[in-house]
Amino acid sequence: MRRKTVALVAVALVSFTSGCTSLQSSATEVGGVRKTDDRSVRDGGTLTVALNSDPDKLDPTLAQTLVGRTVFAGMCEKLYDIDEDGTVVPQLAASLPAVSDDGRTVTLTVRPGLKFSDGTPLDAQAVVTSLLRHRDLPGSARGTELAPVRKAEAVGPLTVRMTLDHAYVPLTGVLADRAGMVMSPAALEKYGKNFTNHPSCVGPFRFVERVGGDRIVLEKDPNYYDADRVHLDGVVYKPIPDGNVRLANLRSGDLQVGDQMGPVDVRSALTEPELQLFNSPSLGYQGIGLNVGNVKGLGQKPGKIDTPIARDVRVREAFELAIDRDLINEVVFQGMYEPACGPISPQSAIAPGVEPEDCPGRDVDRAKKLLKEAGVKTPVKIELKTSTTPEQGRVGQVLQAMVKEAGFDLSLRPTEYATMLAETDAGDYDVFTSGWSGRLDPDGNVSNFLKTAGAMNAYGLGDPEIDKLIAEGRSVADPARRTEIYDALTRRVQAAHALIYLYRQKNYVVASKDVAGIQVYGDGLVRLKNAGYTR
Amino acid sequence: MTKYLLTRLRQSLITLFLVSIVVFAGIRALPGDPALALAGEERSPEALAAIRASYGLDDNVVVQYGRFIGHALTGDLGNSSRTGLPVADAIGQALPVTLELAALSLLLAIVVGIGAGVVAAVRRGKPEEWLANAVALVGLSIPTFWLGIVLVLGFAIALPVFAASGYVPFGTDPVDNLRRMVLPAIVLGSGLAAVVMRQTRAAMLDSLSADYVRTARAKGLSQGSVVGGHALRNSLVTVVTVLGLQLGHLISGAVVTEQIFVLPGFGKLTIDAVFTRDYATLQAVVLCTSAAYILINLLVDVVYSVIDPRIRLGGAR
Repeated sequence: MRRKTVALVAVALVSFTSGCTSLQSSATEVGGVRKTDDRSVRDGGTLTVALNSDPDKLDPTLAQTLVGRTVFAGMCEKLYDIDEDGTVVPQLAASLPAVSDDGRTVTLTVRPGLKFSDGTPLDAQAVVTSLLRHRDLPGSARGTELAPVRKAEAVGPLTVRMTLDHAYVPLTGVLADRAGMVMSPAALEKYGKNFTNHPSCVGPFRFVERVGGDRIVLEKDPNYYDADRVHLDGVVYKPIPDGNVRLANLRSGDLQVGDQMGPVDVRSALTEPELQLFNSPSLGYQGIGLNVGNVKGLGQKPGKIDTPIARDVRVREAFELAIDRDLINEVVFQGMYEPACGPISPQSAIAPGVEPEDCPGRDVDRAKKLLKEAGVKTPVKIELKTSTTPEQGRVGQVLQAMVKEAGFDLSLRPTEYATMLAETDAGDYDVFTSGWSGRLDPDGNVSNFLKTAGAMNAYGLGDPEIDKLIAEGRSVADPARRTEIYDALTRRVQAAHALIYLYRQKNYVVASKDVAGIQVYGDGLVRLKNAGYTR
Repeated sequence: MTKYLLTRLRQSLITLFLVSIVVFAGIRALPGDPALALAGEERSPEALAAIRASYGLDDNVVVQYGRFIGHALTGDLGNSSRTGLPVADAIGQALPVTLELAALSLLLAIVVGIGAGVVAAVRRGKPEEWLANAVALVGLSIPTFWLGIVLVLGFAIALPVFAASGYVPFGTDPVDNLRRMVLPAIVLGSGLAAVVMRQTRAAMLDSLSADYVRTARAKGLSQGSVVGGHALRNSLVTVVTVLGLQLGHLISGAVVTEQIFVLPGFGKLTIDAVFTRDYATLQAVVLCTSAAYILINLLVDVVYSVIDPRIRLGGAR
């Protein structure tokens, strides 16, 4: 009965705020997973792909955004990649790396005969140059990921040896992302800081031009080692932030692929006979962060905050018990995402996380009991900072309705992205919507966020047991043991109730029906190497 | 006239200098740290410090302003902190798009607005006036975003006459350029056309009841000569004032239109720069927009004297 009431309130709220948006209950037609299709394609043609924002710098060392990674997928291959199942496979490397028994020496060999888009050869020295640049360049976004690499050297024409400060199991996963992209040393020398405007790597396509805010143009690269299997003449990436506009352009045929489509737009797209849907589960998560000890800002030791929610874990537990994850997914996302209650996706090939059905359910009675035990005055007043997107606004409204029943007075403060980052990093908040696009290795989803004084631990969480588990997870190579470690870590984080995981997005890509060969894997990137127009 | 222009030019430069200070200070007063916005998901204290050092964000604000003005005077507007692209290039690419959009919208507003205004005044009390007034009211009332989406659904999807988005320079392919610019121009120009229509109608009604029009009619001039040669010409002073004021609004209104039609213009550049706290781009864009406003006002003053010789600039006789 209570659940029904909350559901009705939530539906009414969302219907009211979303105007004429129809909320269809059934999600069966998008419930499955479709990562690619293998229809045969013809050679030729250009594909226009809509991204949901303009990528930042096209320099693998400095790049920060998910949309940037999608563009890199077209022109900058990595030492390693993931396959359809999320398993790490060699890409520019000839095989998986050889790791010494103590885990401190990693040797990898690159494929022979590789050429950069500028025609220069890719050899071991080029790999070393890129690795060191990723690690050392001021402002590098790869510095933290590669910090354990003490030394990288070419020990043969195609062989690279890395010496690590300590065993670092996530390294292979890290090299399956931007830190594993190898840049042309000749281009780096020629363009220096301006490499971003003349990127040169190894990939199915090469950079042609970029008009800021409008387009990034790539063309088929004849130097590419697998050029025979590349069918398109080129790709144009266009940033189109608004989902309605992206969909209108897909309908009119001005676009062939729409990346990162939201649930409402996907629903509309499904009514179009000329459009098709690809999707894959995400490796990331979305949730809410609670300020339990961030008094001095990021990277600082946690301190004491005198609010009920920071002071008493029972209050935080009550807050979480008042939340119905399934209902959020149904009401806000039309059932098209997945409820989540841990940092690691159950789809992770390395250490699968908690399945949605194993997430704790809503229990308002217990929540009320906990608040009573904690002796706090109800309603407990809390402010939730959300981003200004309509979806996040609706998540906030549904949460507001849910937790009210348990005894919380949740006020919402929509805050523009850059301001929210500054405020939450500084600890100027009670609760905020917090999300992460996800990394291949589970370590990428936990260490920076949950470690005491971690680089992105905006929650002020400080738990030596969590720190110990993070360190163990980084150094143990055995997959079964790693799964155990991350299971224990997840339970510990859940018990702290400082970061309440709510749902996991799905990567939805809408494309014209006459396009085939697109690959949409768990990392959320749209791979176009084998894409083309159907015969 | 020359003396007047020189005086105005001097005033404009002082205004522009003051604007540059306000813009510089205003942008820095925005909440949010540009280094954080740049660092995005992967922000560590070391990376943030490196970003701040790299863009000189650590320096004193006065030093930062001096550097900005010093570079700007030599034509160097810096590089975008987000994309790394030169800001001058970004402006060079965005400006023609917005200028073309504004020009087409203005053309639409002049042709439709003045035409409908004249008809409404001449056919006062007749169905034509009611129709013109009704259309103007609709033009003023419809939200730009909604009109844009409806036009795309109607004329780019259901009836694919125009393109839904994107920009092709006129010099590259004039037909494709117009195919992509007509709908945005209608969206942006519809509101202005309605304003112009109402102003023209009001001014024309005044003129048509003036003594000189009665005299012209008494002299036996044709209806066309009376309306076009006498009444309309005198009404245009008011209309040009409105157009001058609204042209600035056209540039700011382009923000929404460019988002809907994915036009890489000034509006889109500005919005992106605001959200990413791209100081270099934002400063340059706002400064250029201010310069455009100042220039437009100057041009409007000059046009007054051309339309109405009774107006002499700067008190010259």
